[in-house]
Amino acid sequence: MRRYVLGIESTAHTFSVSVVSSEGRILSNTKSVYKPPEGSGIHPFEASQNHHASAPGVLAGAMDGSGVGLKDLSAISYAMGPGLGPCLRVGAVVARTLASSLGVPLVPVNHAVGHIELGCLLTGSKDPVVLLVSGGHTMILAYSSRRWRVLGESLDLTLGQLLDQFGRHHGLSSPCGKAIEDAASSSTNYLKLPYTVKGNDVSFSGQLTASKLLLDGGSTFSDVSYSIQETAFAMVTEVTERALAFTGKKEVMIVGGVAANRRLSGMMTDMARRHSAAVSMTPLEYSGDCGAQIAWTGWLAYSKDIEVPVKESKVLQSWRLDRVDIPWRD
Amino acid sequence: MSTSLGVTEYARGRLLYKGAEADVLRGEWQGLDAVFKVRKPLPYRLSVLDDAIRRQRTIREAEMIHLAKKAGVASPFLYNVDVPASTLVMEFVAGDRVKDLVDSLPRSEMEDIFFDFGRDAARLHSAGIMHGDLTTANVIRRKGALVFIDFGLSIRTTRLEDHAVDLRLIKETLVGAHPEAATAALEALNGGYAEVVGPARSRAALKQLQNIERRGRYARVT
Repeated sequence: MRRYVLGIESTAHTFSVSVVSSEGRILSNTKSVYKPPEGSGIHPFEASQNHHASAPGVLAGAMDGSGVGLKDLSAISYAMGPGLGPCLRVGAVVARTLASSLGVPLVPVNHAVGHIELGCLLTGSKDPVVLLVSGGHTMILAYSSRRWRVLGESLDLTLGQLLDQFGRHHGLSSPCGKAIEDAASSSTNYLKLPYTVKGNDVSFSGQLTASKLLLDGGSTFSDVSYSIQETAFAMVTEVTERALAFTGKKEVMIVGGVAANRRLSGMMTDMARRHSAAVSMTPLEYSGDCGAQIAWTGWLAYSKDIEVPVKESKVLQSWRLDRVDIPWRD
Repeated sequence: MSTSLGVTEYARGRLLYKGAEADVLRGEWQGLDAVFKVRKPLPYRLSVLDDAIRRQRTIREAEMIHLAKKAGVASPFLYNVDVPASTLVMEFVAGDRVKDLVDSLPRSEMEDIFFDFGRDAARLHSAGIMHGDLTTANVIRRKGALVFIDFGLSIRTTRLEDHAVDLRLIKETLVGAHPEAATAALEALNGGYAEVVGPARSRAALKQLQNIERRGRYARVT
């Protein structure tokens, strides 16, 4: 029997609601994205106010677009974490309200697991080495024994933070990835930046400082953008290649907001070819934060009877994805 | 002066392993059974960046293979260093990678391996060497003894932080790739490590390892 699950994403700048069916069709995916003022990042409280104000409209839009009614929903899932506390709480309140008024199970979902599972659904990837790159994560992962296992990660900034903090130094507002990619495409002038690989881990803080100094010293935004992309992306491609060689897997999947960058996906494609591995990317529409990642993972979890009583439901600002049991793969 | 043979000359060998940054081929070197570790240009990296990294890691690996022996840790014999071709020619180490043994050996034998692993890691650290890529794929067991390979990311350092980074990678590899064996293996490894550096330094290194783990995103310390 076909079932429907609604999912709510509100971990950071995006408030989004989606309805998916048990066979993996995304029936709707409506969102509202908070845009910070120029030169600054996400202010958690202001983002949460955006979510609060836009929640009813986004929810109504997702229901209207799905073609199913509230009574058809089998479960309500929400991003329990990780993320910004004030933002997470808005999604949780909406989810609790829906679940208790409809009398259906409330299903907590880890946002990062959501990125991966939605990526697998949309790309058909079965057992990939995953590069999760966004504002919140820079991790290389592979599945083994009921968990997504971390094979490498950033020890300080995420790739998204590197790009955003550099872009904001130039006066842009987050997210800055697209502007940096555009600026980089008009340069071929490589300026030397720190290349920091420690085993399977990477570090970007030195590179951020060096990039800001270059900009302050008169280098052009496009030259420094080009140099950051060439250095930082080569670092994550190298550690992904290490994980691929180590695990012997034959698929690589890039997920998260930075997956939209074509230079990164180009490097990963060149790398994977050396190992006869296939590369897949989440389609642009779903690579950033969205309700569909929560709804689909919510269905997977619900199908294995994962739920939380409304009274005991909470949000977790820190919730590493290698702590999440995954009973639906194996 | 020696001249470079160029990458194509080494490519005559039989491919043993295609690693992340190098092809490892087996062939003959002046009548000896040898492996060629060829750091080929990586297509995804800008050549100005790639050339510098490959050159630096080739030279460093040759130096560190030598220093490891001085520290009492077995490493392959080095036959030739061809910097222009980013290639090392080394002894072929006939044995099994620890990676391929972890999940198949009886528990006590597995623990013995990791005790020795920890002891040798500590010998490197005591000699001021951080291996830099200390995974289970980079240690080979030959006739019951361990041989350490792949020193391309090694550096000379006595900093506690750097030594803890080595220990973190072992832990990350064990928990990530061998979750069933990880707890027992780590305990054995820490035992071997403490035997060489002493309990105080060992405790300090594990404490620093926790500090590094805390820097990971969304980490809560365990």
